[in-house]
Amino acid sequence: MAAVYKTLSSATKEEKPTEGRRNKQRVLILSSRGVTYRHRHLLQDLASLMPHSRKEAKLDTKTKLYQLNELAELYNCNNVLFFEARKGKDLYAWVSKPPNGPTVKFHLQNIHTMEELNFIGNCLKGSRPILSFDAAFEKQAHLRVIKELFTQIFGVPKTARRVKPFVDHVMGFTIADGKIWVRVYQISESEPGKKKTGEDAEAEPAPKKKSKGKTELDVELVEIGPRFVMTPIVIQESSFGGPIIYENKEFVSPNQIRSDLRKAKASKYNRRTEAALENKLKRGDLGLNTHGGRKKEKDPLSDSVLFA
Amino acid sequence: MAKAGLKSALDQYRGRNIRLEKQRKKEKEARKRKEAKAAKLGEDGVSIEEEKEEVKSAQTNGVTKKAQKASKPEKKNKKEEKKAAPVEQVGEDWETEESEEGSEDDGVDFSRLEDSDSEAEFDDDEDEEDDDEEGDEEDEDIPLSDIESLASEDREDVIPFQRLTINNTTALTAALNRISLPYSKLTFSEYQTITSDEPVEIEDVEDDLNRELAFYKQSLSAVKDARAKLTAEGVPFSRPVDYFAEMVKSDEHMGKIKQKLVDEAAGKKAAAEARKQRDLKKFGKQVQVAKLQERAKEKRETLEKINTLKRKRQGAEVTNTQEDDLFDVELDKATTAPSNDRQKPNHKRAKKDHKYGFGGKKRHAKSNDAFSTSDTRGPGKPKGKGGAAKQRPGKSRRTKR
Repeated sequence: MAAVYKTLSSATKEEKPTEGRRNKQRVLILSSRGVTYRHRHLLQDLASLMPHSRKEAKLDTKTKLYQLNELAELYNCNNVLFFEARKGKDLYAWVSKPPNGPTVKFHLQNIHTMEELNFIGNCLKGSRPILSFDAAFEKQAHLRVIKELFTQIFGVPKTARRVKPFVDHVMGFTIADGKIWVRVYQISESEPGKKKTGEDAEAEPAPKKKSKGKTELDVELVEIGPRFVMTPIVIQESSFGGPIIYENKEFVSPNQIRSDLRKAKASKYNRRTEAALENKLKRGDLGLNTHGGRKKEKDPLSDSVLFA
Repeated sequence: MAKAGLKSALDQYRGRNIRLEKQRKKEKEARKRKEAKAAKLGEDGVSIEEEKEEVKSAQTNGVTKKAQKASKPEKKNKKEEKKAAPVEQVGEDWETEESEEGSEDDGVDFSRLEDSDSEAEFDDDEDEEDDDEEGDEEDEDIPLSDIESLASEDREDVIPFQRLTINNTTALTAALNRISLPYSKLTFSEYQTITSDEPVEIEDVEDDLNRELAFYKQSLSAVKDARAKLTAEGVPFSRPVDYFAEMVKSDEHMGKIKQKLVDEAAGKKAAAEARKQRDLKKFGKQVQVAKLQERAKEKRETLEKINTLKRKRQGAEVTNTQEDDLFDVELDKATTAPSNDRQKPNHKRAKKDHKYGFGGKKRHAKSNDAFSTSDTRGPGKPKGKGGAAKQRPGKSRRTKR
């Protein structure tokens, strides 16, 4: 009898891990040197939303990024979210899956941290988010890769150490204008009778109910922050190395944009100086200058010629 | 020497300019040479093009190549190949501009310069042929954004970056398969990821309100789906009211936000109040101004009436015959009526003001000015008093009345 029980129990035990296979993720979050306070706050915000993350000290180098692989291994992390600041203004994010997963490099723009946004939404520290992806993520191969990476990095695994029960926030990833827009909302549920309470927060009309359960609560979202926009630049095959398997053609580096602006400004001056020079030469050729240029031809009918 | 001088004089007389003619000739020659060269290079270009096609087909899928190439204006061979690639259009533009410049320029020493230029161009073109062999395939996939920047007036400064589209789909899918979670074996609560059914359409990304609304709707639908799935799996979803734990935003931070909201509301209220007050004040001012104007008008009218009355009285004294002047009842009534409510002029006060000063300076009143110096009347006869003295009749006349 005992043997029967044992076999039964072992069978169930064996079945358990297969049906509930664990999704184990740990993320190493760190930045390079030269981040501004805003970049730092963004990093903090993200770290506070991700209980499965490990924050590390700033990385000294910006060129030898393969060091991050070792660092991740050291901290038992299988994901790396590395923020690289350049020129004290541009922020790039490297999203990678060491030891041999792909690496995606993003350019981050329109960064607004929780601190400065003053949204009234709030959520438990360490609760697990729902990740909401745009359908456009399924359309292209590189976006599918990005979606998978985000799912693993921003999605909090059930088994993370500091995780709290309940689901009270949602992270939205939407593709618009070739960029990925990220938003974080609190899920606030209220009785369907008194849905006027939270309306002033987002000012959107309350959604109509679909009869799903018996005591269905109305769902409303209140934004928490932070907000940012990511532009994918490059995907590398391995972690911080390897061949480039995707490159965004439409991405224009902020340096290029700035230099174009400067040049546009400079060209105005150049054109004007050129015109001035040309004008001077022309005048010289016509013999109108007192110094240099060509001498004016003598008028054969002038007094000095006629009465020489 | 003399002969040459004579000839030149003759030319001058006829109005010929030998030098200019020479230039024209040279220019013509240069242009002819250019065209011939262009035709030749055009043929070459075609053959080169064929070679390139071969090269391109030989190239594999995921080649990493970044081409950085200046769009040289003088692409002679491009002119012949009528392709839709916009860089060439730009090149053509340049071409025309240059030729226009050449024709417009009646500068004197320009022809010699151009001569040397055209010689140099031969070399240039040869170089470019080499360049083209590498750079031609990139010519076809210049992004639209770059074209726009090229089309602007300062093309000369722009060095277009042309990236090759690298999109190695097989490698990407391989990478995806390597890292993807076994979703079929996992329960939904393990990954909690929802992909929307249809892509989010945003017409204008700059339109903040609609954009955010689209994001909100996407997340909201995801939340609804997820909640259904999670409740089906029996995962706790909503937080009970009595569950307290550390939040992402600390109480301090939330307090700050609340304070900010309160401040904002208070500010709005205060602003509204202030505006109301201001409007009231403005209105009150208008009323006051109207009142003052009315008063001034009244005053003017009464003064006028008084003056007319005075004049009439004087006239009456002189003539003293007309009946209605004697009994000017209507006028008297008109003057007396408004003077009732107004203050009576205080004669004592007026006298004192005149004596001790009120309104305006009293200094230098007796000093000479331009008018008084030109006055030829002798001293001792003040001009002011004369008129007034004449007015008063003599004693006998006064007593006679």
